[in-house]
Amino acid sequence: MDFAFTPDQLALAETVRDVLTEHCPPKALRAERLPAWDRLAAVGFFGLLVPPEADGLGLRLVDALPALEETGRACLPGPVVETAVVAPYLLPWVPKLASGAVRVSVVPPGGAGAPDADLADLIVVSRGSDGGAVVVGREAARLRPLPGPDPCRRLSEVSYTDATPLDRPLGPALRAATVATAAQLIGVARRLLEVSVSYARVRRQFGAPIGSFQAVKHRLADVAVGIAFAAPLVHRAALAVEAAVPDAGVPDRGVPDGGVPDVDRDVSAAKAAAGEAADLAARAALQTHGAIGYTEELDLRFWLARAWSLSAAYGGAAEHRARIREALAGGDLRRYP
Amino acid sequence: MDLDFTRAERDFRAEVRDWLAGHVPDRLPSMDTPEGFEAHRAWEALLASARLSAVSWPEEYGGRGASLVEWLIFEEEYWAAGAPGRVSQNGVFLLAPTLMAFGTEEQRRAWLPGMARADQVWAQAWSEPEAGSDLAALTSRAERADGGWRLYGQKTWSSRAAYASHGFGLFRTSGARHKGLTYLMFPLEDVGVRPVAQLDGLPGFAELFFDGVYVPDAMVIGEPGDGWRIAMAATSSERGLTLRSPGRFLATADRLVALARDADPALADRAARCWSDAEAYRLHTFHTARRIAAGESIGPASSMGKVFWSELDLRMHGLAMELLGERAGTTPWLDGFLFALAGPIYAGTNEIQRTIIAERVLGLPR
Repeated sequence: MDFAFTPDQLALAETVRDVLTEHCPPKALRAERLPAWDRLAAVGFFGLLVPPEADGLGLRLVDALPALEETGRACLPGPVVETAVVAPYLLPWVPKLASGAVRVSVVPPGGAGAPDADLADLIVVSRGSDGGAVVVGREAARLRPLPGPDPCRRLSEVSYTDATPLDRPLGPALRAATVATAAQLIGVARRLLEVSVSYARVRRQFGAPIGSFQAVKHRLADVAVGIAFAAPLVHRAALAVEAAVPDAGVPDRGVPDGGVPDVDRDVSAAKAAAGEAADLAARAALQTHGAIGYTEELDLRFWLARAWSLSAAYGGAAEHRARIREALAGGDLRRYP
Repeated sequence: MDLDFTRAERDFRAEVRDWLAGHVPDRLPSMDTPEGFEAHRAWEALLASARLSAVSWPEEYGGRGASLVEWLIFEEEYWAAGAPGRVSQNGVFLLAPTLMAFGTEEQRRAWLPGMARADQVWAQAWSEPEAGSDLAALTSRAERADGGWRLYGQKTWSSRAAYASHGFGLFRTSGARHKGLTYLMFPLEDVGVRPVAQLDGLPGFAELFFDGVYVPDAMVIGEPGDGWRIAMAATSSERGLTLRSPGRFLATADRLVALARDADPALADRAARCWSDAEAYRLHTFHTARRIAAGESIGPASSMGKVFWSELDLRMHGLAMELLGERAGTTPWLDGFLFALAGPIYAGTNEIQRTIIAERVLGLPR
């Protein structure tokens, strides 16, 4: 039992954070569609989960989790999860995937559209609830932009003239994408809390920093609690996704009754909690900033929008809560670990 | 990063589970009645006979030197088995860690084995009528006497004091506010005790009146005047880990989900949410245990745990009350609800905890 990230996992996140601090500052969010993507590609970010035989590093999802959280913290635009997490599961044979030369977007089951599909080379389109999907080349896709809250994560409806059926099951990739999105939401929430605390320390009213008032303090304390107890669910889900793969190479995990409990339930718990923590952080951030936070001019708007767009991506909190309820109604209350 | 139990940890879980399955009694009368108090003491003694009453203590004091993770496993099994509440809670989980960290070897040998068997049951004596959340305002005092101290003043909300044999708490020996406080243990036989009935009508706590009660120097923990630092170290571990382990809430959550199984989906959703939140507390605690094992101090971050578990407990029991309606009183859920209501108040109100989080974790100005 060592439920903390390893120095290697944290060092990877540190590298990604440094790249994003330099190449994806808030002003880049206003000027570019894919800031820092070439730099991330140069440090190998898009090959983290790609198998070694396809020139990737073959890491596990949990290894990349802190780095994915950093992409949320920086509000990194573009189809990040789809390219860095979904594609290695579904399209590992695509040449140059690990190099970051191929961008991928996804229309998940129940999703309204594909994020940043106009920037993607390949689009995975799920076909209803049977789990099947097709791959569409950008040139064969017709995109209809959908209005949405996030200027840096634009959704498009996708129709197509020509597509290749996908021979791999969608489930494992969707689980990983949902957990990765939850990790990004934790990053978004942490950033929202940081900027709110910073602002509350310097903004003065009635002759005192507003952060000295208990009403403000307690609201931000609640955000800190929300994040602190959502993050472990996300980390556990990343491990559970791995443990659910029968030949993951760790036969004796100490799971009760010899089986892995319901992984989808754990993934839903992660996404619901992370989405709600980010929603709470966004709400508190806006309220702490007051009217200045309600402007397009302040950079805060990008993180507010990202909290909302990622909360809805791969299923919103209510949908995931209902899945947890249905799973528990089945009577399996076993826990992982 | 992993979440894998070792073979030894799984064997320990199996041993605890088997023992509890063969020994957990039917529901005991409340520990806040004379017969219930004795029944709970007898249960503690039985636990101690299997070296299960304080598993994390070293063997020479009656424990078995269990790791933090093993202690968490014990707690999961204990509450899942429906075992009784711990009448020795204050001593085993609050005074004992203080003695381990700040007491003398003589004190540990004198008090810990008896505490493990519930030969002595300990009451805590922190709050005073004018010192609740503002504990440093306390005025009860200890005056120098030949070879020891004489205690004067009044304590209140002293849990278990109605039936307990001993108490521990802070007394002023000099100075003001946090300075000049001394951490003392005392027998309750010479202390005036006025039991105070709680919301359930039973005397779960008491007022204590000190009028020159004599205690020898051997009852001082640490240096005279160093009591605040010692008490804060203890309440930090109290809030963080040992006061309410995840096992209690996991067991409640399992029962709540079963209770809500055929309920309206809106209510069942709330039960499912509680179940996930209990898991979040468990996982968060595994992370904390790892930090402690690595030598880190969790410090003010422990306030986050206290806010989370106390409000989760209240949400769970509040939902059970909604589900059961007028039938709640025929089930254990009513007592659980009344107990849960105290959670956001004791061990530092949740308002104080949120202020601590804001100032000492987030760095907001005082």
